[in-house]
Amino acid sequence: MQVSQQPQNEGGGQWLRACHQCDLLLTRALAPVGQKLQCPRCGATLHRNMDHSIVHTAALSISGLLLFIPTASLPLLEFSLFSFGAENTLMNGVFSLFSAGYYWLATLVLFCSVIAPLGKFLLLTFVCWGSGHRRLRWPVTTALRSYQHLQEWGMLDVYMLGVLVALVKMSDLGRMSVEPGFYCFAAMMVVASATTVAFDPEAVWARMAGLENRPQATGPQADPEQNNGAQG
Amino acid sequence: MNRPARALSEQLWTCLCCHQLQRSPAGQHRSRCPRCGARVHGRIDGSLLLTWALTITGALLLIPANILPVMTVIYLGSGDPSTIIGGALELYHSGLWGIALIVFVASIAVPVMKLVGLVMLCLIVQWRLKVSPRQAMRVYRVVNGIGRWSLLDLFMISILVALVDMGAIAEVHAGAGSTAFATVVVVTMFAVRSFDPRLVWDAHESRLAENGEPGRA
Repeated sequence: MQVSQQPQNEGGGQWLRACHQCDLLLTRALAPVGQKLQCPRCGATLHRNMDHSIVHTAALSISGLLLFIPTASLPLLEFSLFSFGAENTLMNGVFSLFSAGYYWLATLVLFCSVIAPLGKFLLLTFVCWGSGHRRLRWPVTTALRSYQHLQEWGMLDVYMLGVLVALVKMSDLGRMSVEPGFYCFAAMMVVASATTVAFDPEAVWARMAGLENRPQATGPQADPEQNNGAQG
Repeated sequence: MNRPARALSEQLWTCLCCHQLQRSPAGQHRSRCPRCGARVHGRIDGSLLLTWALTITGALLLIPANILPVMTVIYLGSGDPSTIIGGALELYHSGLWGIALIVFVASIAVPVMKLVGLVMLCLIVQWRLKVSPRQAMRVYRVVNGIGRWSLLDLFMISILVALVDMGAIAEVHAGAGSTAFATVVVVTMFAVRSFDPRLVWDAHESRLAENGEPGRA
């Protein structure tokens, strides 16, 4: 779905948007489809109107959820030294830190590498599905707000670089090898970035506003036809 | 020449969560966004104070984060605890200067740059320094964008702790410095979040108004 209608005007007169980074008032709120709206004064990106945002986001977040299953269950790296070997999965680093008593560090790593990315996929799937149902207005609104807070804590790309650094750093000590989970993880990272780019909250707001206005919209639309009929 | 209109002086607020423009309630300090239900203020409540507090906390925590060891690699019963700088230097001496550079940038340059940037932004707002607001915004965006990359070292430690765990032959332990470093990253991320960049433009406006330049304040 594309964002075509302007958001409802909350008493702003001619103004439809203020830049969230410099408070400059603007007379347009949304970018044309496929383009982005930038603040003319400070250059902040105000709105990026992605084509078919909701459909693409739904597809990408469901594929992200599916990729999460092999990523979490298969090992990412294997390290072997003499006849000993150990594997690294997404979760067992957290368990090792937790059992060593580093609760805060373990929680942070768990949150940034597992909970936040998984939460983002789940919330976006719910938002894309739920925005088509009028009864789910408040749960979807809450989910959108949680997504905004969670967004910057998903750090799959940073974790990826961490895996690569670990791979190189330990390669002179023993034999390091990349396992199938690593490729699933890389794919999940790409999907996560694509989801963030594809998602446009304004499309969700427009869709929900469209649902809300539908019964009212049929009234005024029916009226002119009746008037025309009466006149004719 | 008229200066561009500012939302706050037109009694308009923007929701920072969904960016809905709305009329500010008369005489009230805060309200709820009619579209998404988030709390709305004209400017982030206590932004400057909170940013100062979190920045100073981060700067103080950076000391133990760099002095205490973050990780110990024990190989065949011997191994010294290494600090963040030590880890980067070790990589450099073993010829892996590319990786050493990545580690150096992510765990030393980024936190320091972030704290310096935050102090600069706070001073620009507080003392109304004569700095172009566009330049200040550039600092803000860099500080906002780079922060997450400093968790790189901690992710690497969590991977190595699980991976290199062979009892007497080879083992990796985390160190106390890593907890301090994790806190630095989290605290500075919250500091950036609590800084309201619109204050930079407010300071700019009031400086122009003081100098008697015409236009809407």
